[in-house]
Amino acid sequence: MPADSNSLDDAARQLADRIAAIPNLHSPLRLEFHADANLAADSSWQDTLRQELEKHHLTITEEPSAPLLKVGAVETPTQLVLTASTRIGDRDDVRIVAVTRAAFTAPALAVAPVRIARQLVYETSDRILDASALGNAAEGGLAVLLYRNEDLVALRLDSSGAVKQTVSLAAASLHASRDPRGELTDKGATAEVLLPGKLCEFTWAAGAEPRCRTKKTEWRTATVLTSPCDSSDWKLEARGDDWSSADLLQIVPDAAARSGSAALFNEFPGPILSINGERDPGSALIGARNLHTGNYEVYKITLVCGN
Amino acid sequence: MRFTKSLWFAGISAALLLLLAATAASAAKRPRYGGTLRVEMFATSVSLDPREWKSGSLSVREDEKLAALVYDRLVTLDDYGRFQPALAIEWSHDAAAKNWQFKLRPGVVFSDGSLLTSADVVASLQSVLPAGLQLTAIDTAISIHSPHPVPDLLEQLASGRHFVFRTLPDDTLLGTGPFYVAEISPAAPYETNPLATKPARLKFRANEQCWAGRPFLDAIEVTLGEPPLRQLLDLQVGKADLVEVAPDLVRKARQDNLRVWSSAPKTLLALRFDESQPASADDHLREALALSMDRDTMANVLLQKQAEPAPALLPDWLSGYAFLFESPMNLERAKEIRASLPANEAGGTEPLRLRVDAGGDLMKLLGERVAVNARQANLSVQVVTHSTSASGGAAAVSPANPSIGVHLFAWHYDSLSPRAELEALVKQLHLEQAAESTQALADPEQRYAEERRILEDRRVLPLVLLPEYAGIAAPVRNWMPARWGEWRLGDVWLEKGESTPTAPNSGASPDNSAAPHGKGVHP
Repeated sequence: MPADSNSLDDAARQLADRIAAIPNLHSPLRLEFHADANLAADSSWQDTLRQELEKHHLTITEEPSAPLLKVGAVETPTQLVLTASTRIGDRDDVRIVAVTRAAFTAPALAVAPVRIARQLVYETSDRILDASALGNAAEGGLAVLLYRNEDLVALRLDSSGAVKQTVSLAAASLHASRDPRGELTDKGATAEVLLPGKLCEFTWAAGAEPRCRTKKTEWRTATVLTSPCDSSDWKLEARGDDWSSADLLQIVPDAAARSGSAALFNEFPGPILSINGERDPGSALIGARNLHTGNYEVYKITLVCGN
Repeated sequence: MRFTKSLWFAGISAALLLLLAATAASAAKRPRYGGTLRVEMFATSVSLDPREWKSGSLSVREDEKLAALVYDRLVTLDDYGRFQPALAIEWSHDAAAKNWQFKLRPGVVFSDGSLLTSADVVASLQSVLPAGLQLTAIDTAISIHSPHPVPDLLEQLASGRHFVFRTLPDDTLLGTGPFYVAEISPAAPYETNPLATKPARLKFRANEQCWAGRPFLDAIEVTLGEPPLRQLLDLQVGKADLVEVAPDLVRKARQDNLRVWSSAPKTLLALRFDESQPASADDHLREALALSMDRDTMANVLLQKQAEPAPALLPDWLSGYAFLFESPMNLERAKEIRASLPANEAGGTEPLRLRVDAGGDLMKLLGERVAVNARQANLSVQVVTHSTSASGGAAAVSPANPSIGVHLFAWHYDSLSPRAELEALVKQLHLEQAAESTQALADPEQRYAEERRILEDRRVLPLVLLPEYAGIAAPVRNWMPARWGEWRLGDVWLEKGESTPTAPNSGASPDNSAAPHGKGVHP
């Protein structure tokens, strides 16, 4: 049956209700999950199903001799299909709950409807280490820190993406690395680049030499955005541990302030390499690699009201 | 003098380097316009007239890919399960999902510059939607009324043959898509060597007036009827940018470090018993044959892991429940059943004749594998190759040949609606049961029950599922096809085009007087 729900957890609850209504079903039951890779990675719906079954007095066991309850979660082009199958006597009893995928991807939150707007703002074949909104917000441009030919370069771009200034940070004498790291903060006429063990400052004016000094590195902590709908805080998280696969930006309610709300997800075409939420509390700049083109991209993520 | 020359040379080099650097920088920032994408396909002919397409036919695979260059649909489905506006910008339906309204995008023009009207939309969709749906043009919108609920109407409209087009008096079709058909060159003997045949070619040019914006590519050249190995070679030597890869060549392509893309399984290969034959009417014989089929070996050895065993009629990616079906091989049980049958039953002293459509070596190999598996259960199966129906499809076993008891057929999934797909399959295979209705199959549990009924009856034995494979050249960018097989070439760009890049809207309008406007093409 189609579910009128908007999350996988809701669908899992509905499935548990339907399982509990199967005639002559006796527990304890042995659960076996069959799920698409991305659904298998999220075990929360499986936990929800277990809890809901137990609420219906259907206990779960690992005992191999217990009756098997096969539970599946498969993504079709338009739906997430949850199935449960168990053998009662000589017949298979099957229950199916289908959830609209679109509703799951951007769940409608009862308290603070908020969604993610994503915009590609810059693309290059050079490796992007970080991106920063320009200090002069009215310009609408951004600054980008690149790792080009094993050296650092900072670019200042206007709102159309055209390069206005290029500053080489060769003076930082960065060691060549397979995992280069740096954080850029634009301060109007000047900018700062935080590198492992040092901080470099420079002006965007032509010919100026960056000045670097030793500094204990304190990388950015979690980026938190403020919802324009109800001023609630949402933390941006990404896996970023596998550069060969697509990443999922997770925007989760920050701590207890939004407990119980569902997280928002936004799939990227490759690994997410940097998240910078400075300046505007409602938006952040995400550096990612696009595995389809091999290029590096900067996206602007904005929290927007409404479903 | 030498010094001066060196300076001059250095000056030129620096200027060139700066120029190159500037070009590279600007090219990196934005997608690139221009170039011709060279595509090669197996099919020897294609039809760009959706009204001619037959449900389940393998030929629809190529037809639909090329038609998507020329025509648009009312809505599209993105990779995240969201319906996106295309020719319709808004839609709504009543609570029962019987009455639908679609507001059309204003200002959309066909490739000849004429305005798309709601009458065009109604006329084209009426000719491709199932009978029983009533379409009405209302100013800048259309309405669709159905006597029964159609909750999956968007899935249907976003896939298959549900394109919008205008039929001209000479029966050619006009589209609003990102490209238009500019040239058709039928297959013909080479002038220099009349014994060799020049393959058929189609050339599509960018539609500068496309509502979604001019495509990045200037043109797409499609060569038809290229053999699989030739296509792979052309991709390797840079003579093609996008080719179809036969399943048996996927491993080789990957070993050669070629970029290979695969879709979700799109083709079902299955056996269908002819109910009119006494031998096939014996359910014990059908059960014995079903239990003798080694689907794992077919998928993993014969098809080199480029296929999946098929436990059901619909694949998991479409139904979401196919994994619940099991089709285990049980040779001992198959032998027992065979032993209980009369010796003169088909499959005993008289072989059961298996018709294989000559759709390629793959089908013949699979047919022979079916015969080998059957023999292991003491069932005699004789493979008969049928040469006429090369396009596949699930035509019932021909009553003209009474000795044929079972048919190996291919079915191409072309709908995003599991209900519509199952219904088409059931209808084509004549597996209907009077009690079943369209409405019942809209419910996933009832759809599952219907599939179970058909599979338990064993008149159809699913064998393997095949994805589609494509080889993509390195310069092809923004290759983001849908997992259900759409190539989305309107969004693709080439890193290095062959022709001078053309800025959007800067080129001349298409010469519509010369364009064949997507006529059903049979070179």
